[in-house]
Amino acid sequence: MNDDYLWDKSGEPDPEIQQLEQILGTLRYQPRPLELPDDLIVQRRRNYFPLMAIAATFVIALLAAGLWWRTTSQKKPALHEVKVDQPASAPTIDKQVDNKTLATDNHGPSPVPSVHRHKHQSPNVLASNTRRRSNSTPTLSPAQEKEAEDAKAQLLMALRLASEKLNLVQRKTQGGTAPPNQIRNQHKIG
Amino acid sequence: MKLLFQNVIKTLLPGSLLLAALASIATAQEVSRLRLTSLDSLAARASQTVDVNIDERLMHVAATALTGDDSKEIKKLISGVKGIYVKSFEFEHENEYSPADVEDVRSQLRLPGWSKLVNVTSKKEGNVEVYVLFNGDAVGGLAILSTEPKELTVVNIVGPVDLQKLAEFEGEFGIPDLGLEPIKPKAKKEN
Repeated sequence: MNDDYLWDKSGEPDPEIQQLEQILGTLRYQPRPLELPDDLIVQRRRNYFPLMAIAATFVIALLAAGLWWRTTSQKKPALHEVKVDQPASAPTIDKQVDNKTLATDNHGPSPVPSVHRHKHQSPNVLASNTRRRSNSTPTLSPAQEKEAEDAKAQLLMALRLASEKLNLVQRKTQGGTAPPNQIRNQHKIG
Repeated sequence: MKLLFQNVIKTLLPGSLLLAALASIATAQEVSRLRLTSLDSLAARASQTVDVNIDERLMHVAATALTGDDSKEIKKLISGVKGIYVKSFEFEHENEYSPADVEDVRSQLRLPGWSKLVNVTSKKEGNVEVYVLFNGDAVGGLAILSTEPKELTVVNIVGPVDLQKLAEFEGEFGIPDLGLEPIKPKAKKEN
């Protein structure tokens, strides 16, 4: 018997096979669009995890950068002294400035002067209405006064140097003419 | 487990963001403070050195010593200022310091936020550069870099400062001229 029709549909058709084809052909795959039932409830769940992970990573990186910057910048010692080293040939400093306020090499940092002093209260007193003197000047110890004077001298020297440089810039930028204050026109700061 | 993790994230995220914001503010303040330690090596070569380091605590201490009629103006000028740092070197001869000595300071002034306000170049008298640090619209700091043939001065003010008032400061408020910089003849002629 020739089985070619069974293998490749060539040759003489076999009626039994044709009958089987007709029966099984109804079950053949037929492409058609997906049809969802109308009563089907679709729940969309957004996954926030990747977004949260990115945000957390960004925050941790920011914190780490801030901490790193802070630690690296705090490594240097906080100096608070003015050193004016002058050889004999160097120009002398104006005598109006008290030398004691400038030469501060011989003393280290002294404790912070406490401006507000707490009065000792009796343990029996539960509450009291203490008057505060509004215009009173804080009483400082001699060491604190000296530190304050030193700090003041440093401050004035620093401000004067900064002012001097700014004026130098002003003079150079203005040249021979006298236009309005350029720095004044640049920015209003403060 | 996933729900627990999401709840933890929801709880911690606002706090973390707040911390991040605070850290960024602190970082901005640190940026306005220049690291001037690289200039310390110049002190050995300088004939005269001025090194002023006034941090926030010393600013308050100095403010307590300010008395008199001008104290209000000075206090107003330094209100909000977190620190003032100055390094000034005067040399006997020219070219005793190189641009490489100042490069570390310049590199800090190239960081985001710093803006060069004024740059004055003079072959004889050197250069003076004025930088301002902006934190958004607000001013967070000032830096003056003066490189003269025989003098190098770096002034760093941390915090807001009024440039106009600061420029008017010289010769006012009873501040004496320390003679650290000789008065230029040109300036005398102008006066």
